[in-house]
Amino acid sequence: MADPLLLDLVKTAKSYGINVGFLTSPHERDIWLEGFRTTLTLVATMIPVSLAAGMALAAALTARQRWLALPARVFVELTRNTPTLVQLSCAFLGLNMLISQSLGGAGQNPFGAFFWVVLVVGLHGAAYHAEALRAGIEAVPDTTLEAARALGFNRLEILRWVELPLALRIALPTIVNNLVTLVKLTTVGSAVAVGEITYASIMIWTQRDNVVELMVVILVFFSAINLVVSQIGLWLERRLAVPGLGVRS
Amino acid sequence: MAAVAAVAALWAALQPDLAVILIGWVPYLAQGFAMNILISVAAIAIGSLIGLILGVMELAPARWIRAPAITYVHIFRNAPHLVLIFATTYAMPFEITLLGGTVAFPDWLKAVVGLAIPASAHIAEIVRGAIQSIPTAQWESAGSLGFSRLRTLRWIILPQCLRRTLPAWMNLYASIAMGSALASLVGVGELLHAATDASTAVRRTDFTIAVYLTVLVSFFAYCYPISRLTQRLERRFAV
Amino acid sequence: MLTARHIAAAALGLFVGTLSANAQADATLTKIKERGSLVAGVILSGAPFGYIDAKTQEQKGFNIDLATELARGLGVKLETVTVTPPNRVQFLQQGKVDLLIANMSWTEERAEILNFVPTAFERSGGVALGRKGGTIHTWSDLKGKSVCLSQGANFTKPLIEEHGALVKGFPSQPESVLALKGGQCDVAVHTGATLKTMLLDRAEEWKDYEIVVSEDLLPSLNVIWVRKGEKDAEAALDGIMRKLHGSGWIIEAAERHRLTITPYFLETRDANKGR
Repeated sequence: MADPLLLDLVKTAKSYGINVGFLTSPHERDIWLEGFRTTLTLVATMIPVSLAAGMALAAALTARQRWLALPARVFVELTRNTPTLVQLSCAFLGLNMLISQSLGGAGQNPFGAFFWVVLVVGLHGAAYHAEALRAGIEAVPDTTLEAARALGFNRLEILRWVELPLALRIALPTIVNNLVTLVKLTTVGSAVAVGEITYASIMIWTQRDNVVELMVVILVFFSAINLVVSQIGLWLERRLAVPGLGVRS
Repeated sequence: MAAVAAVAALWAALQPDLAVILIGWVPYLAQGFAMNILISVAAIAIGSLIGLILGVMELAPARWIRAPAITYVHIFRNAPHLVLIFATTYAMPFEITLLGGTVAFPDWLKAVVGLAIPASAHIAEIVRGAIQSIPTAQWESAGSLGFSRLRTLRWIILPQCLRRTLPAWMNLYASIAMGSALASLVGVGELLHAATDASTAVRRTDFTIAVYLTVLVSFFAYCYPISRLTQRLERRFAV
Repeated sequence: MLTARHIAAAALGLFVGTLSANAQADATLTKIKERGSLVAGVILSGAPFGYIDAKTQEQKGFNIDLATELARGLGVKLETVTVTPPNRVQFLQQGKVDLLIANMSWTEERAEILNFVPTAFERSGGVALGRKGGTIHTWSDLKGKSVCLSQGANFTKPLIEEHGALVKGFPSQPESVLALKGGQCDVAVHTGATLKTMLLDRAEEWKDYEIVVSEDLLPSLNVIWVRKGEKDAEAALDGIMRKLHGSGWIIEAAERHRLTITPYFLETRDANKGR
């Protein structure tokens, strides 16, 4: 069933004291490969979700209407000052159960663990993005805003066409940092059985004796993802640079 | 905070029996939370010390000093805290033989190491950034006054860095404090773990929700003041 | 700039550093006597095996009572360390605990990396907890269905390989049953006794649920595990276990903790009578 090349590889590794025997078990290999895919899917879903929610939150934070700004501020502070794992426990073990009950039976609940992880971790990222964008929006020079008003833009149009584009550029380095944190936070999915790479590794190493082997792979994998994320961030920074704005030494 | 207390009081009034059970668990939960505080304080202390050394190493003229520091920082800044806690818990020995005697190396201490590693990598970056932000002219003038490179660093550059790095350091502290909850996943008896214990013992849906909310509020009470103080310092130090 | 070579070098460094830390072998029994205490890894996944008493907040359960008896038999004090399914094997291998009484039944794979006490304390398998009135009645009905269990449970392999279930592993049993209640899976599979006690004690909370498959999955001996090669400890503990069975202590403790008295208990008692 397993091809000879793989068996050879497992044997060679074993002679060096490296235990990768799980590769010969079809279901463990599937769980593991699925782990890489799920982590990448989580990252790919969470980045746009956190950015969109972050912009909406930033808009609310800087709104003049108190009923909009105050709840946004409360949400941001609550999210930034509590552990993601605790938020996930509250959402997944608490809120999710309440939803199930109110929908009349657990079978009716449409929200899965993947959804909760994206929601909780995505909004956690969004709260950090929002703070960065708010600082960016506040850094937009008054003269620019006056000019925009003079051109007949209303408040929302100014936000959309003047403040956000400029704030995005100012906040970009911080946002990229937040995204790196976000990538790392996907590992909390392992606590609620989302099949990302940490979860997959736990499922394997609890049946075998190869924690170290799997751990090295996880660390290299995350280093690689975050290298890509920060490189794209750097490229965007250069690409979007506006002469004279947010010049950093 | 007052609003939270008011909501809690109202809820306790509506659910007196639940409140009684929850109050009964307060000592057990408090013990868990003390562990979070211990882990986070120890991790940030060790992390700061190692991070300071690494940050200075990153700027060393000699490549053989610089390269290992840069590599360490790159790897561990990008490594998930949870994975590092798993790594230290499962791969480090439970006791260490030192000078013939054995010293216990309990789980919580492993969690401290697991969090101190990424903390040191972040602090190294903060320190490096701060040192680089000091105009190079200061190094030159100190040199002309007869200061050696290390003495310049110790007496002229680092004191200025301290002020500039304080807000970033406190942000990191809050992040490490929140990271201490991850230790529950490797079985350290901290607050989140204590909450699961309590929920398993009582086995009531409403209690489960109440106890997890208590955990959330406790962490907020710990981290929010840090974050407020950070914001104030940031404003004060802003140029 | 960070190169692939840098990453590989550092990863290797970490690898080698931790690998050397893993190598420890010592005579468990000698160590227990020297230290004057037995460090038992026990699982607290809920009554009857191990739980924290809601009133006194002390550890209680069959596992704790058994550990106490073992320590008494060895003539030393007892220290307990709480373990969970995902960390128990590591804790034993590291030497953090001397033995495991952790709802960890005998499997071939485990026996390859650990030693065990041949005289088990009970024999059981997994049962499935699900919503009343569902379509799942046998293990083969689980094909394509989602199953909540503990990370590290020995049911994982047969559920996936033989019954084609979609397995979701949680850090411990409490999270798993909460996830079942939250609609995250069709059934939760755990050791029968814990699920049955939970249904019994919290009938109101669990009124919509029942044991939907009660035929034991992977019925196997619930044994005490020690580190690989610890023959002395294994033999000493086996002697104590035989005595506990023969004297009727095990059955008494099982009754006290409301475990079902299966033929296994009676047979093992009779086989060890008079020891």
